[in-house]
Formats: sequence, structure tokens, C-alpha cells
Amino acid sequence: MSDEGKGHWSTYIVVLILSIVFIYPLWILIIYVVQPAYLTFDRIYPAQIPLAFTLQNITQSFKEVDLVGPLERSLEVAFLVGGIALGLGIPAGYGLSKLTSGISNKLIVFLFIINMMPGLVIAIPISIYFLHANLDNTVFGVAFAQELVVLPLSVFISLSGFRSLPRDLEYQARVDGASFSSTFSRILLPMMKVPIMVAFLLAWMTSWDEFTYAVIIAPIVPTDSTFPVTLYNYVSRNLPLESATFALVATIPVIILAIILQKYLKGSYLSGGLVG
Amino acid sequence: MESSTIEKLNNADQGDPSSLSRGQRFKKEFKKDIFYLIFAIPALVYVIGLAIVPAITVVYDSFIGRHGFTLANYYALPSYGLYGALINTLLVSVGALLIQLFIALAIAMVLVKPFKGKKAFSTLVIIPLGISTVVSAFVFSIIFQAVGGYANSALVGLGLRPIDWFYTNSSSLGVVMFSDFWKNTPLVALILYGGLSSLPPSLYEAASVDGAGSFNRFVHITLPNIAPIMSIALLVRGVSEFNIFALPLVIIGYHPLILNTLIYENYSSSLTRNISYAAATVLLAIIMLYSIIVVKLGGAKDHVR
Repeated sequence: MSDEGKGHWSTYIVVLILSIVFIYPLWILIIYVVQPAYLTFDRIYPAQIPLAFTLQNITQSFKEVDLVGPLERSLEVAFLVGGIALGLGIPAGYGLSKLTSGISNKLIVFLFIINMMPGLVIAIPISIYFLHANLDNTVFGVAFAQELVVLPLSVFISLSGFRSLPRDLEYQARVDGASFSSTFSRILLPMMKVPIMVAFLLAWMTSWDEFTYAVIIAPIVPTDSTFPVTLYNYVSRNLPLESATFALVATIPVIILAIILQKYLKGSYLSGGLVG
Repeated sequence: MESSTIEKLNNADQGDPSSLSRGQRFKKEFKKDIFYLIFAIPALVYVIGLAIVPAITVVYDSFIGRHGFTLANYYALPSYGLYGALINTLLVSVGALLIQLFIALAIAMVLVKPFKGKKAFSTLVIIPLGISTVVSAFVFSIIFQAVGGYANSALVGLGLRPIDWFYTNSSSLGVVMFSDFWKNTPLVALILYGGLSSLPPSLYEAASVDGAGSFNRFVHITLPNIAPIMSIALLVRGVSEFNIFALPLVIIGYHPLILNTLIYENYSSSLTRNISYAAATVLLAIIMLYSIIVVKLGGAKDHVR
């Protein structure tokens, strides 16, 4: 069966409706940003298509509110979260893939339950520990907390990656006299490129989106916070044009990233290891 | 030293099993497990320290009043709107889940068939995954504004009357539900698509030969075959639904309350912090109960590959 071919007319209707539903909010965000306020914000019934074009909202927003600072902070946090996810998740996945199944299954269920714990419940006491450790309102504090959201997933991705490698691979390298560490770094890791990349990007994107831990660990007062928390702050200060600009600027790169990541996204990664 | 241990372990693995006594073999296995466990320990310590311990603190503090152990925080919860918040959380979760499942199934079924523009459509469907929760919440609040909203301008354009979307609790929750559906359906669709595309095409061909119509094929072949994946996807998403926070906070604020906004509202003041802990404990209990059911039903261990 070819990937593209003639489909039934009902397929096209479903596709058309769903396409409109999924593109509509992004469309609205774009036309909200690129039109002068008298066509959007000040109208009772704004038009669904752009009637004029301006870049004034964007230039003005960059002048009036801090957009760059929060984005930089978010970037730092996201790279930290991705890095820690690999540092802790890849070895853990390797260990779990080698353990007797009785033990590894128990640990997998344990990690799965961690993944389900409500963020807000955990974030509140963590914020108190971090206050004592001077980690509140810092990039590290936010990253350490957000790591909880992504770590189980990173372990699952790494685990399924290691399990899909040929079994004899490691043994043969050992027979040929390679040491454990060189087998791991020269033979196993290069074959794990895709799972490693997926784990990193998913962690990165999750951190970019994460709000609950960020708003508790680094609320907007007294300094600025990550992009989602700052956006929430602008929205609640009733700055719709600045908020829209900010939202769009922060979103476009991530959409591109999501589209790139698309071909690697398997259902099993996204359901927290529950789906095979 | 590290490499020599491994050598021994591997030899034990490959060696003639009859040459070792049962006890010796058990000992080797045990040593091997300890070695590989070391790799997992940093990650495990991390989540125990930063998730389990804090969770225990919250539960403990929820029973502490000015004079030691008390249930007063729990008795006070209903006056802070616990029951309403519980019902609202349940409504939003169940509602959003059902819409998600239905639409995601439609997307997955469309994607397994060949049609023109399939690549473009599958890319389009991914878009919400790349849009932050807070961004989508903000955009939906623009769309559903009572005055100046795009949903109302569409309604008026179609000759209908505008609606004050945030006037009643149920319509406010409906907006949250819809936004959540929009943000999370791609995820469910990807999971279901994975399940659908793993079904062998011969399954359908045989049914077609037997003269089964497309509806019959869906009910008797597709549905039963993806039911396990569907139920697991549903249960996993269900927990996340219970945890929604940013979306309702940005779109509807604290009116009406859901469990997480109730916790957040009371956490900010030290006077009501223990109330917040009690509400958090309630949420934790519900979710833990739910995830135990998930693990029992879904059997996480059998499904991780």
C-alpha cells in the first residue's frame, strides 16, 4: 500500500474538519499578533482573516516588557533538564535492561507511579527545601524539580533502546577483550543515538512547557521566571498584545522542533512505558 | 577491578550451569544484579529524594495543627470548596478524556489509510504538541472571550447569537475541556496510531473477502484489537487529566475551582497552607489509588519493551 493515494471522500471531510480544528488556535494567535489592535483587541467581533499587517505589536512588546530574559532562562532550564535526563536516565535504562526481570519490573512500576504523582503536591514541599538550599528562584532549582517530570520517561526510552540492541553485541565485544567502559562508550552508546536524541528532545520540550514546578519554585516575584510563568504573569496583568507576541515568539521554534521530532515519536514513549 | 568483576559475571552467564551448585548460581545472579543495580541507583535516589520524601511530608503536615495531630484541616476542607472542586475535576477529566479518545481514534483510523495529503495532515495534527500549555490556554481565552472573542465573532458571522462562555460554571468547564482536548489529542492519536498500524493488514483483507462492511470491520476487528492499547492510553491520560493546572488557572482562574487550583489558592497564604496540604493529600490519594488500578489492570511490566 502506498502512503499517498486516492482516499474515500469521507476521509477528506474528516481530515478537513480536523485540520481546521488543529490549525485554528495557531492561526488566531498569528493574526492577533500581526494586526493593529483596532482590528483585534478593540473589536467586539474581530475578523477571522487578517485585514491589515503590522509588526508594531512585536517591536512594541519587545520594548515594553521583558521577553528575552524569560526565554533565556527557559532555554537554560530546558538544556539542564535534558542533560540531567540523559545523565541519570541512560545508565538507569542500561541497568534495568540487564537486571533480572523480577527486580527490573518492580523498579519500572515504581518509576511509573512516580510519573503519576501530582506535580503540585510534590512542588510545594520541594520549594521549602530549595528555599533552605538557596535554590529557590534559580535556574538550577527549577531544572531539578522539572527533572521529576521527565526522568521516568527518559529511563523508559533508554530501557527500550537498550533492549532492542542485539543481545550478543556486548558479550562479543567483551570476548574480543574490550573493557566494560569502552564497550559501553564505543559500542553501545553509538547504537543508542536515536533513543538518546528522543529522550533529550522530549525532556527539553517538556521543560519548555512545564508550568507547575516553575511557578512554585520560581514565581515571578521578585525576579523573572521561565517563559510559561512569565506569560501567565503578563496574561493576568491584562497585557494581551504583549502576551500574544511573547506566546508566538516562544512557540514557532518549538513547533518546528515538534515536527522534526515527529518521525521518532512512538506511542510507547508517550504513554509512560505502558504501551508496548 | 570493575572489568574483572564483569568478566566473572559473564563467565558465570556462559559457563556450564551443571558445574555450579544452586547456591553458587544464586550468588552469581545476585552479584550480577547488584552490579547492574548500581546504574539505576542515581535515578532512583533522585526520585525518592525529590518525589517520595516530599509527598510524605505533605501527607504528614496535613495532619498537623497548632497543637499537634489533628483532623481539623480535613474537616475544614468542604468549606473551602472541596466537593465542588472534586466534582469539577471529575467532570473535566472524564469529559476531556472521552472527546480525546473519540477524535484521536478518528485521526488514527484516517492515518492508517492511504490518501492524498497524508503527510501534511500528520504534520498538522502534531502542532498542539509543540504549543505550550500556557500558550494554548491564553489563545483559547482570546477565542472564547465574551466580548471581542473569535468564537463569538464566528457565531455572529453565521447569524447566531453570541454566548457568554464564562457566565456559567458548566460552560467555563466546557471551555477548559475543549482546550485540553485540543492540546492532548495528538498524544492519544499517536498512541492509538501505533496500536492500529501494528495490526496486520491481512486481518482486514480476510474480513473483506468474507464480505464484512467497513462498519462491521471496525466493530468486530479494529476495536477488539486495539482495546488493550486504548484502555491503557485512557488510564494514563486519566491521571494527567486529574493533574491539569495551568490550563484552568489561565482560562478560568479560581472560578469554578478544580482540585489543583484549590490547592494553589490556599498554598499562597501561610494561614491556609495546611488546608492546601490536606487538599493535596486528597488529590494524592485519588491518584495513587487510580495508578494502582492502572498498574493492576494494565500490567505495566508486561508492556514495557
